[in-house]
Amino acid sequence: MLTWLILLPAIGAMIVAMVPSRRRELHLPLGIALSVLPLALAGYVFWVFEPVAGYQFTQDVTWYEPWGVGWTLGIDGISMPMVVLTALLVPIALGASTSIETRRKEFVVYTLLLEAGMIGVFLALDLFMFFVFFEAILIPMYFIIGIWGSERRIYAAVKFFIYTAFGSALMLAGIIALAFTHAEQFGAPSFAIADLMSLELSSGAERWLFAAFALAFAIKVPLFPVHTWLPDAHTEAPTAGSVLLAGVLLKLGTYGLVRFNLSLFPQASVDAVWVMGILAVIGVVYGAVVAIVQPDLKRLVAYSSVSHLGFIVLGTFAFTSGALQGAVIQNVNHGITTGALFLLVGMLYERRHTKQISEFGGLQKVMPVYAGFFLFMAFASIGLPGLNGFVGEFLVLIGSFATLPVLAIIAASGVILAAIYLLWAYERVFTGVPDKKENEALSDLSVREIGLLAPLAILVLVLGLFPNVLLDKIAPSTEAVLDHVEESTGFVIPEPGRLGDVFVAEGGNE
Amino acid sequence: MTTPEISWIAILPDLVLALGAAAVLLVDVQWKPKAQALGTVVAGTLTVALALTVVQWVRAQDALESLGPAIGELVAFSGMILMDGFAVFGRLAILVTTAIGLAAGWRLIEGLGRRRAEAIALVLLASAGFSLMVAANNLVMVFLGLEVGSIALYVLAGMTRSSNDSDEAALKYFLLGSFASAIFVYGVALMYSGTGQFEILAIRQFFGAFVVTNPAVILIGISLMIVGLGFKVSAAPFHAWAPDVYQGAPAGFVGYMAAVAKIAGFAAIARILITGLGDLDVNWLPVVAAISAVSMLGGSLLALVEADIRRMLAYSGVATAGFVMTGIVGGATSGILFYVAVYSLQLLGSFAVVSAVSGAANSASKLDEYQGLAARSPGLAAGFTILLLGMAGLPLTSGFIAKFGVFSDAWSAGYEWLVIVAVLASVLAFAVYLRVVVNMYMSESDAGALEVPDTARWVLLVSAAATIVWGILPGSLLDLASSAFPL
Repeated sequence: MLTWLILLPAIGAMIVAMVPSRRRELHLPLGIALSVLPLALAGYVFWVFEPVAGYQFTQDVTWYEPWGVGWTLGIDGISMPMVVLTALLVPIALGASTSIETRRKEFVVYTLLLEAGMIGVFLALDLFMFFVFFEAILIPMYFIIGIWGSERRIYAAVKFFIYTAFGSALMLAGIIALAFTHAEQFGAPSFAIADLMSLELSSGAERWLFAAFALAFAIKVPLFPVHTWLPDAHTEAPTAGSVLLAGVLLKLGTYGLVRFNLSLFPQASVDAVWVMGILAVIGVVYGAVVAIVQPDLKRLVAYSSVSHLGFIVLGTFAFTSGALQGAVIQNVNHGITTGALFLLVGMLYERRHTKQISEFGGLQKVMPVYAGFFLFMAFASIGLPGLNGFVGEFLVLIGSFATLPVLAIIAASGVILAAIYLLWAYERVFTGVPDKKENEALSDLSVREIGLLAPLAILVLVLGLFPNVLLDKIAPSTEAVLDHVEESTGFVIPEPGRLGDVFVAEGGNE
Repeated sequence: MTTPEISWIAILPDLVLALGAAAVLLVDVQWKPKAQALGTVVAGTLTVALALTVVQWVRAQDALESLGPAIGELVAFSGMILMDGFAVFGRLAILVTTAIGLAAGWRLIEGLGRRRAEAIALVLLASAGFSLMVAANNLVMVFLGLEVGSIALYVLAGMTRSSNDSDEAALKYFLLGSFASAIFVYGVALMYSGTGQFEILAIRQFFGAFVVTNPAVILIGISLMIVGLGFKVSAAPFHAWAPDVYQGAPAGFVGYMAAVAKIAGFAAIARILITGLGDLDVNWLPVVAAISAVSMLGGSLLALVEADIRRMLAYSGVATAGFVMTGIVGGATSGILFYVAVYSLQLLGSFAVVSAVSGAANSASKLDEYQGLAARSPGLAAGFTILLLGMAGLPLTSGFIAKFGVFSDAWSAGYEWLVIVAVLASVLAFAVYLRVVVNMYMSESDAGALEVPDTARWVLLVSAAATIVWGILPGSLLDLASSAFPL
């Protein structure tokens, strides 16, 4: 079944590719229809997903025996939310792309290929296959930015590609090293995560490997100081590109840190807590501060991603139940809210052909519905209680306070800064009187646009009010990761860091 | 004493090629036929040669499975020629390259008028020479094959005599090439003086049995052979001829010339170093690793700044030579064979595109000419993109599998630093190939739709399809390459 999750978008891309180029009106609706199929399948997977640790729906087919490479797929509580999010964002991103006039067919094809690759990354349990997907998604994204982006698109596309490829190049060396070590210790090479977790690595080797993987993922996240490709890529990408970039591609980095760094190199991860934590917190504060002064709305949202993703990395390396759950669920939340914010900015850009904050003012009088959605998503992004952003960041902060109190306190300022940059931007764009003539004639959201935003808005509310819908499915898997870290290192997570501790503590109070 | 039995099958494919070349020339003189008729002769020759090679393959595999005296039958002509899987795989690759290369250059050949038979005959002769070279067990035989092949290539480079660039390319290739051949022969001579052996298998036995206390002569011999063959595969720092030749020689032939020389050159390097001199690897491994690192980094960097696509492909070929050499360092022939085989196809396809865009006889082919190619000819641009991504080694293409294979081999041989250099050089290579993609897809052109010859279409289709298919399901070719080990 998981194979179909990858194949469906790929087959969809082929179907769209076979539609003649001159039937322009067909490409987009067909693409959306075809991308609903994987969404339905992902929804089904979510529905039948059991809230237990370990991988479900696993498949294991030998791909090339002598190399020990297998088509090994599986899904657990860490990857499942991301797969669903990916499948959800693709139809929305396609639906938001009606303004793409040139070479529409290619656009749909690349987007569907991108979806296949992204889902593949989350499902692959074989490092070789993971790397194949991880690297393969660069190509469609490169085309999406480079062909349909704005003025400096080629610069942004190449920068995006080279930055990410650089990171993953060293990871490739790391993957080869792991497989080779497995061959030395067990007689045959293997790329399966489950096999590699039982390797005995010397502490030096483990640190180098950790560094190689961490660099690849840090660039993807992006973590300060390797974040500089992100503002360019986001700003130049077309709306759909930005949505998928922020919603899914960045999460490949945070997902990779949890799945590979924590599981394969637990000792090195524990040793690197301070390095990763400090970089994460720098990202939180730096991203937020830079976001405040951005004159460009899209760039502002892009830098806010740097800040939010810092929270996720902090949560990943705090080694407590709450923080890790928060990190995983924040992956989803950030995908939804930032995806929605990019959609909103894109919709504004389509009307006014500028993203400069100073060009706007008083828009809530002309576009009340739009302003409502924007404010709602901004609040979600800031982390207003009751909306989804709150759940993830709150869990991360509470969780990391147990192990990294200083960093948690500094990171908390990120929440305040988020309120500053988003609300200030809201004030400048939407409040006051519309003083520019061009702004007076702007039309409010169409039914199509509301239809695109509504599912995201509903999810913001649902996940904000009933986070347990998702957390219950995530928790067993994150607990398993922490168990593995505790078992394979001398590191003991201080109380009340683990889920069990919290219940004991609560019981004691009663 | 009886005369030793001659196992003709060991060289039959090469004989057929040479006879085919003669037939083409004779038919042309006698009947002055149309190009199509010559094409039929060529197609027949290649089909027979391919069929015979398949027979060889089956025989070699049977002999190896029986593990008996049958293995001795794979050594033919008193130890001059081997018919092991390695030789047959190399020959197979050369024959396929020849067939596709002729198809890619067919338009150019047709345009050569009365000299078309010459061109075809030269291609067939070059293939016969290189094919002997991959099968040679005797170092003198290696040299013989190398020269037969190379001299034919020198002439091919100058085939469009009217153009100064072509003249220049031919002369440069000839002068530097003969110089390199001379260096190689000198290396062979020193090896002989040190060991008293010409045969690679005998040299292996020699070093297995004796420890040479003062190996200076032998070491100089090895380095001279590495230099000579390094020139042929355009590894840095012996690559200076490549950009000028790639640029000056007629585009229709460059793909073939480069591919066939690389296949044969790497087969010879692998056989001499890995099979013959495996016991001395502590001596040559650092040298080959250094050449490999310099080629990968230097080739990629130089390719990055080229404004001419053919010079760019030449430098990227230098980088590729470096990547393949990581496989030599790794010491496993299967990775090298796989890499060379898929790269040859990509090279042939790429030059088919270059011929279609810039003209098969032209020498200049500016990168700017590729602007907006996606609009002018979507199929051509898509195919070329696949080939470029394949050469860059991105996943889902055969290039990735090839790189992964040789990098893993080098890693397990203990050359971790070389693998790290290699993966970093791969990133540079991405940048190189992306420049072309940017031109094709992300810039506009006011030139009209491009007319693409049918042969170019087919060559592109085959090479792009192979790149994708072996990128996703490489098992078949990997198995073939790993059962094609040298004796």
